[in-house]
Amino acid sequence: MISTPGDVLIVLLAAAGTFFGGVAAVGVLRLPDLYTRAHAASKSDTLGAVLSLAAVAITFGSGVTTVKTVFLLVFMFVTNPTAAHAITRAAHDQGIEPWTTDDRRQREQDRERTRDADRDRSPEVGAE
Amino acid sequence: MGGEGSTEVLVPVGESSTLRNTVAYAVRAAQDAAGVESEGGGEGATGPAESGATVHFVYPAGWRSGDPKDDPRFDRARELLDRLEVWAEEDADPDGPPVTVETALVGRERYLFSPGDFAAVLADYAEDRGLEVVVVDPEYQPGGNAPMLRPLEFELRQAGLTVEEAPVERPARRTRFLGRANLSQFLLLFGVSYAFYLLLGGFALTGFELATGAITAGLVAYLLWRISLTETPHVTRYPLRAARMALYAPYLLWEIAKANLSIAYVVLHPDLPIDPSLERFEAAVWGDLPVTTLANSITLTPGTLTVEVSERSFYIHTLTASSREDLFDGALERAVRFVFYGRDAAAIPSPRERGDSGPGIDDGGEET
Repeated sequence: MISTPGDVLIVLLAAAGTFFGGVAAVGVLRLPDLYTRAHAASKSDTLGAVLSLAAVAITFGSGVTTVKTVFLLVFMFVTNPTAAHAITRAAHDQGIEPWTTDDRRQREQDRERTRDADRDRSPEVGAE
Repeated sequence: MGGEGSTEVLVPVGESSTLRNTVAYAVRAAQDAAGVESEGGGEGATGPAESGATVHFVYPAGWRSGDPKDDPRFDRARELLDRLEVWAEEDADPDGPPVTVETALVGRERYLFSPGDFAAVLADYAEDRGLEVVVVDPEYQPGGNAPMLRPLEFELRQAGLTVEEAPVERPARRTRFLGRANLSQFLLLFGVSYAFYLLLGGFALTGFELATGAITAGLVAYLLWRISLTETPHVTRYPLRAARMALYAPYLLWEIAKANLSIAYVVLHPDLPIDPSLERFEAAVWGDLPVTTLANSITLTPGTLTVEVSERSFYIHTLTASSREDLFDGALERAVRFVFYGRDAAAIPSPRERGDSGPGIDDGGEET
Protein backbone atom coordinates (compact mmCIF):
# COMPACT_ATOMS: atom_id res chain seq x y z
CA MET A 1 0.00 0.00 0.00
CA ILE A 2 2.44 2.62 1.19
CA SER A 3 5.01 2.44 -1.49
CA THR A 4 6.32 5.79 -2.62
CA PRO A 5 8.02 8.45 -0.49
CA GLY A 6 5.08 10.70 -1.31
CA ASP A 7 2.67 8.29 0.32
CA VAL A 8 4.87 8.09 3.39
CA LEU A 9 4.92 11.87 3.60
CA ILE A 10 1.14 12.03 3.28
CA VAL A 11 0.63 9.51 6.05
CA LEU A 12 3.15 11.29 8.27
CA LEU A 13 1.52 14.67 7.71
CA ALA A 14 -1.97 13.35 8.28
CA ALA A 15 -0.84 11.55 11.44
CA ALA A 16 0.91 14.65 12.75
CA GLY A 17 -2.17 16.74 11.93
CA THR A 18 -4.38 14.36 13.84
CA PHE A 19 -1.93 14.32 16.74
CA PHE A 20 -1.95 18.11 17.07
CA GLY A 21 -5.70 18.21 16.69
CA GLY A 22 -5.84 15.76 19.58
CA VAL A 23 -3.42 17.89 21.60
CA ALA A 24 -5.67 20.89 21.01
CA ALA A 25 -8.68 18.97 22.32
CA VAL A 26 -6.80 17.69 25.36
CA GLY A 27 -5.43 21.16 26.01
CA VAL A 28 -8.85 22.77 25.92
CA LEU A 29 -10.04 20.22 28.44
CA ARG A 30 -7.05 20.28 30.77
CA LEU A 31 -5.92 23.88 30.90
CA PRO A 32 -7.38 25.97 33.70
CA ASP A 33 -8.82 29.14 32.19
CA LEU A 34 -9.92 30.92 29.06
CA TYR A 35 -6.56 32.45 28.22
CA THR A 36 -4.54 29.26 28.54
CA ARG A 37 -7.19 27.32 26.65
CA ALA A 38 -6.98 29.85 23.85
CA HIS A 39 -3.29 28.94 23.60
CA ALA A 40 -4.16 25.33 22.91
CA ALA A 41 -7.02 26.20 20.61
CA SER A 42 -5.08 28.71 18.54
CA LYS A 43 -1.72 27.02 18.14
CA SER A 44 -2.23 23.29 18.17
CA ASP A 45 -5.43 23.56 16.21
CA THR A 46 -3.81 25.70 13.54
CA LEU A 47 -0.92 23.34 13.07
CA GLY A 48 -3.22 20.31 13.12
CA ALA A 49 -5.42 21.74 10.40
CA VAL A 50 -2.47 22.99 8.39
CA LEU A 51 -0.66 19.64 8.46
CA SER A 52 -3.83 17.84 7.41
CA LEU A 53 -4.36 20.32 4.59
CA ALA A 54 -0.75 19.86 3.51
CA ALA A 55 -1.42 16.13 3.29
CA VAL A 56 -4.46 16.90 1.15
CA ALA A 57 -2.43 19.17 -1.09
CA ILE A 58 0.22 16.52 -1.67
CA THR A 59 -2.42 13.88 -2.33
CA PHE A 60 -3.89 15.96 -5.13
CA GLY A 61 -0.48 16.54 -6.63
CA SER A 62 0.04 19.63 -8.75
CA GLY A 63 -2.97 21.47 -10.05
CA VAL A 64 -5.60 24.03 -9.21
CA THR A 65 -6.91 22.01 -6.26
CA THR A 66 -3.52 22.16 -4.64
CA VAL A 67 -3.36 25.90 -5.13
CA LYS A 68 -6.76 26.23 -3.50
CA THR A 69 -5.66 24.06 -0.62
CA VAL A 70 -2.62 26.23 -0.13
CA PHE A 71 -4.91 29.26 -0.03
CA LEU A 72 -7.01 27.55 2.63
CA LEU A 73 -3.84 26.93 4.55
CA VAL A 74 -2.85 30.58 4.36
CA PHE A 75 -6.29 31.67 5.51
CA MET A 76 -6.05 29.33 8.48
CA PHE A 77 -2.81 31.04 9.44
CA VAL A 78 -4.40 34.45 9.21
CA THR A 79 -7.80 33.79 10.76
CA ASN A 80 -6.99 31.43 13.64
CA PRO A 81 -4.74 33.79 15.58
CA THR A 82 -7.13 36.63 14.83
CA ALA A 83 -10.04 34.69 16.30
CA ALA A 84 -8.00 33.73 19.38
CA HIS A 85 -7.03 37.35 19.79
CA ALA A 86 -10.64 38.50 19.47
CA ILE A 87 -11.81 36.05 22.11
CA THR A 88 -9.10 36.83 24.63
CA ARG A 89 -9.43 40.53 24.01
CA ALA A 90 -13.14 40.37 24.70
CA ALA A 91 -12.35 38.47 27.90
CA HIS A 92 -9.76 41.07 28.85
CA ASP A 93 -12.25 43.87 28.20
CA GLN A 94 -14.72 42.15 30.46
CA GLY A 95 -12.09 42.12 33.19
CA ILE A 96 -11.57 38.38 33.41
CA GLU A 97 -8.41 37.76 35.44
CA PRO A 98 -5.90 35.28 34.04
CA TRP A 99 -5.25 32.17 36.05
CA THR A 100 -1.85 32.07 37.74
CA THR A 101 0.15 29.51 39.68
CA ASP A 102 -1.06 31.24 42.82
CA ASP A 103 -4.50 29.87 42.07
CA ARG A 104 -3.07 26.39 41.94
CA ARG A 105 -1.28 26.82 45.25
CA GLN A 106 -4.46 28.16 46.74
CA ARG A 107 -6.38 25.18 45.50
CA GLU A 108 -3.80 22.73 46.73
CA GLN A 109 -3.93 24.28 50.15
CA ASP A 110 -7.69 24.05 50.15
CA ARG A 111 -7.41 20.49 49.06
CA GLU A 112 -4.99 19.61 51.82
CA ARG A 113 -7.32 21.13 54.30
CA THR A 114 -10.21 19.04 53.07
CA ARG A 115 -7.95 16.00 53.02
CA ASP A 116 -6.94 16.57 56.61
CA ALA A 117 -10.55 16.83 57.51
CA ASP A 118 -11.48 13.79 55.50
CA ARG A 119 -8.60 11.30 55.88
CA ASP A 120 -9.79 8.37 53.83
CA ARG A 121 -9.82 10.07 50.46
CA SER A 122 -7.65 8.45 47.84
CA PRO A 123 -4.43 10.37 47.03
CA GLU A 124 -5.12 11.15 43.38
CA VAL A 125 -4.17 14.78 43.74
CA GLY A 126 -0.91 14.62 41.83
CA ALA A 127 -2.54 14.10 38.47
CA GLU A 128 -4.13 17.51 38.37
CA MET B 1 -32.97 77.07 17.86
CA GLY B 2 -36.17 78.15 16.19
CA GLY B 3 -39.23 76.00 16.11
CA GLU B 4 -37.37 72.70 16.26
CA GLY B 5 -36.07 73.26 19.74
CA SER B 6 -37.69 71.66 22.70
CA THR B 7 -37.66 72.74 26.30
CA GLU B 8 -37.11 69.17 27.35
CA VAL B 9 -33.93 67.61 26.10
CA LEU B 10 -32.58 64.13 26.61
CA VAL B 11 -28.79 63.74 26.61
CA PRO B 12 -27.33 60.24 26.72
CA VAL B 13 -24.01 60.50 28.53
CA GLY B 14 -20.87 58.50 29.12
CA GLU B 15 -17.21 59.31 29.56
CA SER B 16 -16.13 61.36 26.55
CA SER B 17 -13.71 64.14 25.77
CA THR B 18 -16.32 66.52 24.43
CA LEU B 19 -18.98 65.93 27.07
CA ARG B 20 -18.42 69.32 28.69
CA ASN B 21 -19.20 71.13 25.44
CA THR B 22 -22.22 68.96 24.78
CA VAL B 23 -23.65 69.77 28.20
CA ALA B 24 -23.22 73.47 27.53
CA TYR B 25 -24.88 73.16 24.16
CA ALA B 26 -27.81 71.09 25.43
CA VAL B 27 -28.50 73.47 28.30
CA ARG B 28 -28.39 76.54 26.08
CA ALA B 29 -30.54 74.88 23.43
CA ALA B 30 -33.21 73.98 25.97
CA GLN B 31 -33.05 77.49 27.40
CA ASP B 32 -33.40 79.06 23.98
CA ALA B 33 -36.40 76.92 23.23
CA ALA B 34 -37.96 77.80 26.57
CA GLY B 35 -37.38 81.47 25.88
CA VAL B 36 -38.96 81.26 22.44
CA GLU B 37 -41.91 79.38 23.80
CA SER B 38 -42.61 81.86 26.54
CA GLU B 39 -42.49 84.76 24.08
CA GLY B 40 -44.42 82.92 21.40
CA GLY B 41 -46.87 81.57 23.95
CA GLY B 42 -47.64 85.20 24.27
CA GLU B 43 -50.20 86.73 26.48
CA GLY B 44 -51.33 83.72 28.43
CA ALA B 45 -47.94 82.88 29.76
CA THR B 46 -47.14 84.48 33.05
CA GLY B 47 -43.43 84.62 32.36
CA PRO B 48 -40.38 82.50 31.80
CA ALA B 49 -40.48 81.09 35.30
CA GLU B 50 -43.25 78.67 34.51
CA SER B 51 -41.94 77.47 31.19
CA GLY B 52 -38.44 76.57 32.29
CA ALA B 53 -36.17 74.17 30.47
CA THR B 54 -35.43 70.65 31.57
CA VAL B 55 -32.34 68.69 30.62
CA HIS B 56 -32.29 64.98 31.28
CA PHE B 57 -28.85 63.40 31.52
CA VAL B 58 -29.23 59.68 31.08
CA TYR B 59 -26.42 57.23 31.66
CA PRO B 60 -27.16 53.86 30.04
CA ALA B 61 -25.43 51.33 32.25
CA GLY B 62 -24.24 49.00 29.53
CA TRP B 63 -23.10 46.21 31.76
CA ARG B 64 -24.85 43.51 33.67
CA SER B 65 -23.93 43.17 37.28
CA GLY B 66 -24.60 40.56 39.89
CA ASP B 67 -24.77 43.05 42.70
CA PRO B 68 -25.23 46.65 41.57
CA LYS B 69 -24.25 47.98 44.98
CA ASP B 70 -20.79 46.47 44.78
CA ASP B 71 -19.90 47.38 41.24
CA PRO B 72 -17.47 50.31 41.11
CA ARG B 73 -18.75 51.21 37.66
CA PHE B 74 -22.02 52.35 39.16
CA ASP B 75 -20.15 54.64 41.50
CA ARG B 76 -18.24 56.09 38.58
CA ALA B 77 -21.45 56.60 36.62
CA ARG B 78 -23.07 58.38 39.55
CA GLU B 79 -20.01 60.58 39.99
CA LEU B 80 -20.23 61.55 36.35
CA LEU B 81 -23.92 62.40 36.69
CA ASP B 82 -23.21 64.53 39.78
CA ARG B 83 -20.52 66.34 37.85
CA LEU B 84 -22.96 66.97 35.02
CA GLU B 85 -25.43 68.65 37.35
CA VAL B 86 -22.74 71.07 38.45
CA TRP B 87 -21.70 71.74 34.86
CA ALA B 88 -25.26 72.33 33.76
CA GLU B 89 -25.75 74.89 36.50
CA GLU B 90 -22.57 76.65 35.50
CA ASP B 91 -23.47 76.69 31.84
CA ALA B 92 -27.03 77.91 32.19
CA ASP B 93 -27.56 81.48 31.09
CA PRO B 94 -28.42 83.24 34.37
CA ASP B 95 -30.71 85.68 32.55
CA GLY B 96 -32.56 83.00 30.64
CA PRO B 97 -35.34 80.69 31.73
CA PRO B 98 -34.51 78.46 34.69
CA VAL B 99 -33.10 75.05 33.96
CA THR B 100 -34.05 71.88 35.76
CA VAL B 101 -31.53 69.08 35.57
CA GLU B 102 -32.59 65.47 35.89
CA THR B 103 -30.15 62.61 35.94
CA ALA B 104 -30.83 58.94 35.60
CA LEU B 105 -28.97 55.68 35.38
CA VAL B 106 -30.96 53.41 33.10
CA GLY B 107 -30.74 49.91 31.75
CA ARG B 108 -29.08 48.43 34.81
CA GLU B 109 -31.26 45.35 34.79
CA ARG B 110 -30.45 44.67 31.16
CA TYR B 111 -27.29 43.75 29.35
CA LEU B 112 -26.85 46.42 26.71
CA PHE B 113 -24.86 45.34 23.74
CA SER B 114 -26.00 46.61 20.37
CA PRO B 115 -26.92 50.15 19.33
CA GLY B 116 -30.52 48.92 19.30
CA ASP B 117 -30.29 47.97 22.98
CA PHE B 118 -28.98 51.39 23.94
CA ALA B 119 -31.57 53.12 21.78
CA ALA B 120 -34.33 51.01 23.35
CA VAL B 121 -33.58 52.03 26.94
CA LEU B 122 -33.16 55.66 25.91
CA ALA B 123 -36.44 55.58 23.97
CA ASP B 124 -38.20 54.00 26.97
CA TYR B 125 -36.94 56.79 29.17
CA ALA B 126 -38.02 59.41 26.64
CA GLU B 127 -41.46 57.89 26.32
CA ASP B 128 -42.00 57.75 30.07
CA ARG B 129 -41.35 61.45 30.35
CA GLY B 130 -42.76 62.56 27.02
CA LEU B 131 -39.43 63.73 25.61
CA GLU B 132 -38.94 64.20 21.90
CA VAL B 133 -35.50 65.68 21.40
CA VAL B 134 -32.21 63.93 21.95
CA VAL B 135 -28.90 65.76 21.90
CA VAL B 136 -25.97 63.41 21.44
CA ASP B 137 -22.34 64.03 22.13
CA PRO B 138 -20.29 63.49 18.94
CA GLU B 139 -17.68 61.55 20.89
CA TYR B 140 -20.24 59.48 22.77
CA GLN B 141 -19.26 55.80 22.68
CA PRO B 142 -21.51 53.66 24.80
CA GLY B 143 -20.01 50.45 23.48
CA GLY B 144 -16.42 51.04 24.50
CA ASN B 145 -14.15 50.85 21.49
CA ALA B 146 -16.80 49.89 18.97
CA PRO B 147 -18.04 52.87 16.97
CA MET B 148 -21.76 52.94 17.51
CA LEU B 149 -22.82 56.55 17.39
CA ARG B 150 -24.26 56.52 13.88
CA PRO B 151 -26.28 53.34 14.29
CA LEU B 152 -27.45 54.61 17.67
CA GLU B 153 -28.65 57.86 16.10
CA PHE B 154 -30.40 55.87 13.42
CA GLU B 155 -32.15 53.66 15.96
CA LEU B 156 -33.24 56.67 17.98
CA ARG B 157 -34.73 58.26 14.87
CA GLN B 158 -36.50 55.01 14.14
CA ALA B 159 -38.04 55.28 17.60
CA GLY B 160 -39.56 58.59 16.54
CA LEU B 161 -37.18 60.92 18.36
CA THR B 162 -35.54 64.02 16.97
CA VAL B 163 -31.80 63.51 17.15
CA GLU B 164 -29.33 66.33 17.12
CA GLU B 165 -25.57 66.09 17.36
CA ALA B 166 -24.07 68.76 19.55
CA PRO B 167 -21.78 71.03 17.51
CA VAL B 168 -18.80 70.95 19.87
CA GLU B 169 -16.00 73.40 19.39
CA ARG B 170 -13.23 70.88 19.26
CA PRO B 171 -13.51 68.96 16.00
CA ALA B 172 -14.41 65.35 16.60
CA ARG B 173 -11.30 63.28 16.26
CA ARG B 174 -13.20 60.18 15.37
CA THR B 175 -11.37 58.64 12.44
CA ARG B 176 -13.52 58.26 9.42
CA PHE B 177 -14.30 54.75 8.37
CA LEU B 178 -13.81 55.64 4.75
CA GLY B 179 -10.35 56.95 4.16
CA ARG B 180 -9.26 59.16 1.37
CA ALA B 181 -9.01 57.06 -1.72
CA ASN B 182 -7.16 57.31 -4.95
CA LEU B 183 -7.07 55.52 -8.24
CA SER B 184 -3.97 53.44 -7.58
CA GLN B 185 -5.68 51.88 -4.58
CA PHE B 186 -8.66 51.03 -6.72
CA LEU B 187 -6.52 49.51 -9.46
CA LEU B 188 -4.44 47.49 -7.03
CA LEU B 189 -7.50 46.08 -5.33
CA PHE B 190 -9.13 45.38 -8.66
CA GLY B 191 -6.02 43.62 -9.97
CA VAL B 192 -5.58 41.46 -6.88
CA SER B 193 -9.27 40.52 -6.80
CA TYR B 194 -9.24 39.70 -10.51
CA ALA B 195 -6.13 37.55 -10.21
CA PHE B 196 -7.60 35.75 -7.22
CA TYR B 197 -10.86 35.11 -9.03
CA LEU B 198 -9.10 33.69 -12.07
CA LEU B 199 -6.88 31.58 -9.86
CA LEU B 200 -9.85 30.01 -8.12
CA GLY B 201 -11.33 29.34 -11.52
CA GLY B 202 -8.19 27.47 -12.48
CA PHE B 203 -6.97 29.99 -15.03
CA ALA B 204 -9.50 28.80 -17.56
CA LEU B 205 -9.24 31.98 -19.55
CA THR B 206 -12.54 31.71 -21.33
CA GLY B 207 -14.62 34.73 -22.15
CA PHE B 208 -17.13 33.83 -19.46
CA GLU B 209 -14.50 33.60 -16.74
CA LEU B 210 -12.90 36.85 -17.80
CA ALA B 211 -16.22 38.69 -17.87
CA THR B 212 -17.55 37.41 -14.54
CA GLY B 213 -14.13 37.96 -13.00
CA ALA B 214 -14.07 41.54 -14.16
CA ILE B 215 -17.55 42.17 -12.77
CA THR B 216 -16.73 40.55 -9.44
CA ALA B 217 -13.39 42.28 -9.08
CA GLY B 218 -14.97 45.57 -10.06
CA LEU B 219 -17.64 45.16 -7.39
CA VAL B 220 -15.12 44.22 -4.74
CA ALA B 221 -12.85 47.09 -5.62
CA TYR B 222 -15.74 49.55 -5.78
CA LEU B 223 -17.12 48.51 -2.40
CA LEU B 224 -13.87 48.15 -0.53
CA TRP B 225 -11.27 50.38 -2.11
CA ARG B 226 -11.67 53.05 0.51
CA ILE B 227 -11.68 50.61 3.38
CA SER B 228 -9.07 47.96 2.77
CA LEU B 229 -6.15 50.18 1.84
CA THR B 230 -5.45 53.12 4.06
CA GLU B 231 -2.39 54.48 2.35
CA THR B 232 -1.21 55.04 -1.16
CA PRO B 233 0.28 51.79 -2.37
CA HIS B 234 3.91 51.93 -3.39
CA VAL B 235 3.92 49.15 -5.91
CA THR B 236 7.65 49.37 -6.43
CA ARG B 237 8.26 48.43 -2.82
CA TYR B 238 6.09 45.34 -2.93
CA PRO B 239 8.43 42.89 -4.68
CA LEU B 240 11.17 43.53 -2.12
CA ARG B 241 8.71 43.20 0.70
CA ALA B 242 7.31 40.01 -0.79
CA ALA B 243 10.83 38.61 -1.09
CA ARG B 244 11.50 39.37 2.55
CA MET B 245 8.13 37.88 3.42
CA ALA B 246 9.18 34.73 1.61
CA LEU B 247 12.17 34.57 3.94
CA TYR B 248 9.98 35.28 6.93
CA ALA B 249 7.43 32.54 6.19
CA PRO B 250 9.76 29.54 6.70
CA TYR B 251 11.16 31.14 9.82
CA LEU B 252 7.64 31.61 11.14
CA LEU B 253 6.74 28.05 10.22
CA TRP B 254 9.72 26.79 12.13
CA GLU B 255 8.73 28.88 15.13
CA ILE B 256 5.18 27.58 14.89
CA ALA B 257 6.42 23.99 14.81
CA LYS B 258 8.50 24.66 17.92
CA ALA B 259 5.55 26.36 19.56
CA ASN B 260 3.37 23.37 19.02
CA LEU B 261 5.88 20.87 20.30
CA SER B 262 6.32 22.90 23.49
CA ILE B 263 2.55 23.31 23.90
CA ALA B 264 2.02 19.63 23.24
CA TYR B 265 4.64 18.80 25.86
CA VAL B 266 3.04 21.09 28.41
CA VAL B 267 -0.49 19.93 27.70
CA LEU B 268 0.31 16.23 27.79
CA HIS B 269 2.66 16.42 30.80
CA PRO B 270 0.96 14.87 33.84
CA ASP B 271 1.81 17.84 36.07
CA LEU B 272 0.66 20.46 33.55
CA PRO B 273 3.77 22.64 34.12
CA ILE B 274 2.36 26.02 33.22
CA ASP B 275 3.04 29.42 34.72
CA PRO B 276 0.78 31.82 32.88
CA SER B 277 0.92 35.56 33.24
CA LEU B 278 -0.11 38.65 31.34
CA GLU B 279 2.78 40.78 30.11
CA ARG B 280 3.00 44.12 28.42
CA PHE B 281 5.65 45.45 26.10
CA GLU B 282 6.17 48.27 23.69
CA ALA B 283 6.91 46.90 20.26
CA ALA B 284 9.19 48.79 17.93
CA VAL B 285 6.92 48.42 14.91
CA TRP B 286 4.72 51.08 13.39
CA GLY B 287 1.68 51.04 11.19
CA ASP B 288 -1.37 48.82 10.90
CA LEU B 289 -0.01 46.01 8.80
CA PRO B 290 3.30 45.43 10.62
CA VAL B 291 1.53 45.56 13.98
CA THR B 292 -1.09 43.09 12.78
CA THR B 293 1.58 40.80 11.40
CA LEU B 294 3.51 40.89 14.64
CA ALA B 295 0.37 40.36 16.74
CA ASN B 296 -0.65 37.32 14.71
CA SER B 297 2.88 35.95 14.68
CA ILE B 298 3.07 36.28 18.43
CA THR B 299 -0.18 34.39 18.77
CA LEU B 300 1.13 31.60 16.58
CA THR B 301 4.46 31.15 18.32
CA PRO B 302 5.63 29.53 21.54
CA GLY B 303 3.26 29.98 24.42
CA THR B 304 2.37 33.58 23.67
CA LEU B 305 -1.01 35.03 22.80
CA THR B 306 -1.82 38.61 21.90
CA VAL B 307 -4.64 39.80 24.13
CA GLU B 308 -4.78 43.50 23.41
CA VAL B 309 -2.97 45.91 21.14
CA SER B 310 -3.25 49.65 21.35
CA GLU B 311 -0.89 51.69 19.22
CA ARG B 312 2.41 50.02 20.03
CA SER B 313 1.50 48.50 23.39
CA PHE B 314 1.07 44.78 23.28
CA TYR B 315 -0.59 42.84 26.06
CA ILE B 316 0.60 39.31 25.75
CA HIS B 317 -0.61 36.30 27.67
CA THR B 318 2.30 33.92 28.16
CA LEU B 319 1.88 30.31 29.08
CA THR B 320 5.33 29.44 30.42
CA ALA B 321 8.36 31.25 31.80
CA SER B 322 10.52 30.25 28.82
CA SER B 323 8.00 31.71 26.38
CA ARG B 324 8.27 35.03 28.23
CA GLU B 325 12.03 34.98 27.83
CA ASP B 326 11.71 34.32 24.11
CA LEU B 327 9.22 37.13 23.73
CA PHE B 328 11.43 39.70 25.39
CA ASP B 329 14.42 38.55 23.40
CA GLY B 330 12.45 39.98 20.51
CA ALA B 331 13.40 37.61 17.70
CA LEU B 332 9.96 37.79 16.12
CA GLU B 333 9.70 41.52 16.45
CA ARG B 334 13.04 41.82 14.73
CA ALA B 335 11.93 39.53 11.92
CA VAL B 336 8.76 41.56 11.34
CA ARG B 337 10.81 44.75 11.21
CA PHE B 338 13.06 43.09 8.68
CA VAL B 339 10.09 42.25 6.47
CA PHE B 340 8.60 45.73 6.49
CA TYR B 341 11.52 48.06 6.90
CA GLY B 342 14.56 46.17 5.67
CA ARG B 343 17.72 44.88 7.22
CA ASP B 344 18.73 48.10 8.97
CA ALA B 345 15.63 48.11 11.12
CA ALA B 346 16.36 44.60 12.31
CA ALA B 347 19.31 45.98 14.23
CA ILE B 348 17.10 47.85 16.71
CA PRO B 349 17.71 46.35 20.16
CA SER B 350 15.35 43.80 21.65
CA PRO B 351 12.52 44.87 23.98
CA ARG B 352 14.55 43.77 26.99
CA GLU B 353 17.57 45.86 25.98
CA ARG B 354 15.35 48.86 25.24
CA GLY B 355 13.65 48.51 28.60
CA ASP B 356 10.28 48.34 26.88
CA SER B 357 9.31 45.07 28.48
CA GLY B 358 7.38 46.08 31.54
CA PRO B 359 6.33 43.66 34.20
CA GLY B 360 2.85 42.39 33.48
CA ILE B 361 -0.35 43.53 35.05
CA ASP B 362 -0.36 40.27 36.83
CA ASP B 363 3.00 38.89 37.85
CA GLY B 364 2.55 35.21 38.46
CA GLY B 365 5.17 33.66 40.74
CA GLU B 366 7.97 31.52 39.38
CA GLU B 367 7.34 27.84 39.05
CA THR B 368 8.87 25.96 41.94
